[in-house]
Amino acid sequence: MEALKFTGSGSEYFKIWIVNILLTIITLGMYIPWAKVRNRRYFYANSMLADRNFEYHATGKQLFLGFIIGLVLFIIYSFIAQTAPQFAGIFMILFMLVLPWLIWKSLMFNMKMTSFSNVHFAFKGKLGTSYKIFLGYPALFFFFIIIIGVSSALLTNFLLNGGIIPKSIMLGGGVVLGLLFTLGYLYFFAIIKKFTTTYTLSNTYYGQGKVETKLETKKFFIILLKALGLVLIPFVLLSIVITPTLMGGAMIAGAEIIFVLAYFGFIFFMMLVASYVVSRERKYVYESTLLDNKIGFESTLRARDLAWVMLSNLVLIMFTLGLAFPWAKVRMVKLMLENTLVDTSIGFDDYITIQQDNISSIGDQIGDAFDVDVGVAF
Amino acid sequence: MIKGNWHPKGSAAQINAVLSVNDLGRYAIEFEDGTVFRGEIEQLNVAKRLGNVARKIYLEDGSLFTTLENDAVDRVLTPFKKGSSFIHRVESSWRWMVIAVVITIITSFSFFKWGIPWTSKKIAHALPYETNHLISKGSMKFLDKVLFDESNLSKIRQDKISKHFYEKLAKLSVKDDSEIVYKLHFRSWEMNGQAIPNALALPSGDLIVTDKFIELTKSFDEIDSVLLHEMGHVVHRHGLEMMIEGTFVTVTVMMISGDGSGVGDMGVGLGSALVSSSYSRGHESEADMYAFNKMLKANIDPISFSNIMNRMTKFMGVDTNNSESSHDDKFLDYFASHPPTKERVNLANRYSECYKKGLTTCK
Repeated sequence: MEALKFTGSGSEYFKIWIVNILLTIITLGMYIPWAKVRNRRYFYANSMLADRNFEYHATGKQLFLGFIIGLVLFIIYSFIAQTAPQFAGIFMILFMLVLPWLIWKSLMFNMKMTSFSNVHFAFKGKLGTSYKIFLGYPALFFFFIIIIGVSSALLTNFLLNGGIIPKSIMLGGGVVLGLLFTLGYLYFFAIIKKFTTTYTLSNTYYGQGKVETKLETKKFFIILLKALGLVLIPFVLLSIVITPTLMGGAMIAGAEIIFVLAYFGFIFFMMLVASYVVSRERKYVYESTLLDNKIGFESTLRARDLAWVMLSNLVLIMFTLGLAFPWAKVRMVKLMLENTLVDTSIGFDDYITIQQDNISSIGDQIGDAFDVDVGVAF
Repeated sequence: MIKGNWHPKGSAAQINAVLSVNDLGRYAIEFEDGTVFRGEIEQLNVAKRLGNVARKIYLEDGSLFTTLENDAVDRVLTPFKKGSSFIHRVESSWRWMVIAVVITIITSFSFFKWGIPWTSKKIAHALPYETNHLISKGSMKFLDKVLFDESNLSKIRQDKISKHFYEKLAKLSVKDDSEIVYKLHFRSWEMNGQAIPNALALPSGDLIVTDKFIELTKSFDEIDSVLLHEMGHVVHRHGLEMMIEGTFVTVTVMMISGDGSGVGDMGVGLGSALVSSSYSRGHESEADMYAFNKMLKANIDPISFSNIMNRMTKFMGVDTNNSESSHDDKFLDYFASHPPTKERVNLANRYSECYKKGLTTCK
């Protein structure tokens, strides 16, 4: 096993980043696609494994059309969301309907545009599967939630009116039901996580080699359960500290300070929990994945390291009004890469690029505008 | 002599190779086994430089030579107009760095501080008046459903106030925007058993006063002063402006943080909140100015505004005299969507002095 290395530096990236911003300002935003390409190329090409580097091949020209379409759609959506929120809902439903297509297109485009040691990746997932995972299952789940919600409300009403069961038992029943509900919710997320990860990884090719991953819902569920425990602790603590202060009429002098503290406290805990989930899921996914049934992966990312980098980056960015962003980003990428291990004993010399059709960048760019997270992550 | 690696077309296999160039426009790549490949520099496809990442040079047969010796590549190939990059030269100059940082800071600051409000204002006033009805459509129903109850004021009291409003105030502002049709509504608003004194305006020209507010006022002048402030919001189309500003902020933030990988995202929420509240502070001052100027014209003492504001804040448990100290803190100041009460009172006092001198404008 050999770890990936990052050969770039914060100061070098700063120059690229600030020139990107300068050109974006001068061109009133039209340079953004080219800026994106330079950013990505910088991080891909500085990611090394066994003295070979990754490379991002898309050009600004390729991204431009998709970028414009995404931008126009986003402006329309934001304006509707501000002026007539009731229509924004319809817009969002339409968006949900095309989302699986966007993700599918985007995966194909991004994989094709990525190479390692002169050999391109490819994504060969089916559109139908994307619809099943990103639309079918979530829709089914929300349908169930509605049914359960309505029927339990009806049942409660019926039992209360009947007066058969004492209220204390009803309350206990409510708590149990709420707990079951939360668990069901987490289990759903575990299922979705399993399907999406399998879909993206098991349909990925490196040259002629196929990536294969074997995942179980149970493992994701256990990680989420532990995370739930982590979430509950700070919430209980927060409510003990904050509720009496608010009740005690400290509103006038201290309310704003408490609000600020609570905001940062909340961010801090959420970072801890997110780090825990990300690092554990990453470890599990990597060790369950093989390229060509022979090249294995491993993640040594620790939750506390990830949380520390996230938190210190946030502080760094806030106190420099964003100017330290390049250093923050490099720190994060370094952490991720240096904790990604690949079995290099077999070598990569036998891999060759397989010819692929042209794929437009439209899906990728519309997805980008609406912050759909489907980049090639390693 | 540039050391690097050579890949056959589309293959991950790599072997050590050395690239050399002669003055006649020809190149040679010597592989580690001693074989040599020669060709015209004209046929090479050299990638533009980006920092110090591995430089890609594609040969005419589609094979690839990569090297980390970027400076050497620039030195030998630039004379042949290959792979030179204007952007890389900008990126390597410290003078340009300083210029870029300064321009970025100044532009983003001015854009948020003046650019967005100015453009939003222009757009808000350029849109047809009907837009105001469109955005307040359903708002009244919504407010009635979640906040308000029917007014407990007697019909006679309501009629008296309405009559005064339509005869005096509504006519007063016809000149500003003849398309606005004002309508006065009476409602009662309670939260946790406490009646809330307030007056608000919808962009459509619907003005709402709460029972507690009417109860706290001591004269028609006081009611008028607050209603004029609300009418100021309507005339200046603040509702529409805020929505356009909101759109701007969201789109800009999206464009900035586009490739931001989530690190900065968490700060963005707080940032947007600060920006928006600073905009609405500007709106409050604008509405105040509108009200004060109208009061001078309508022969109402502007001190009425500060009197009723004081009474309302006192009723809500915020003491004006104490609020001064907490507003010294500039950071926390930004959380208040209303300008410091002290500031407003001072302005009212100044206008009141103009009023006493019998002036109809006040500098």
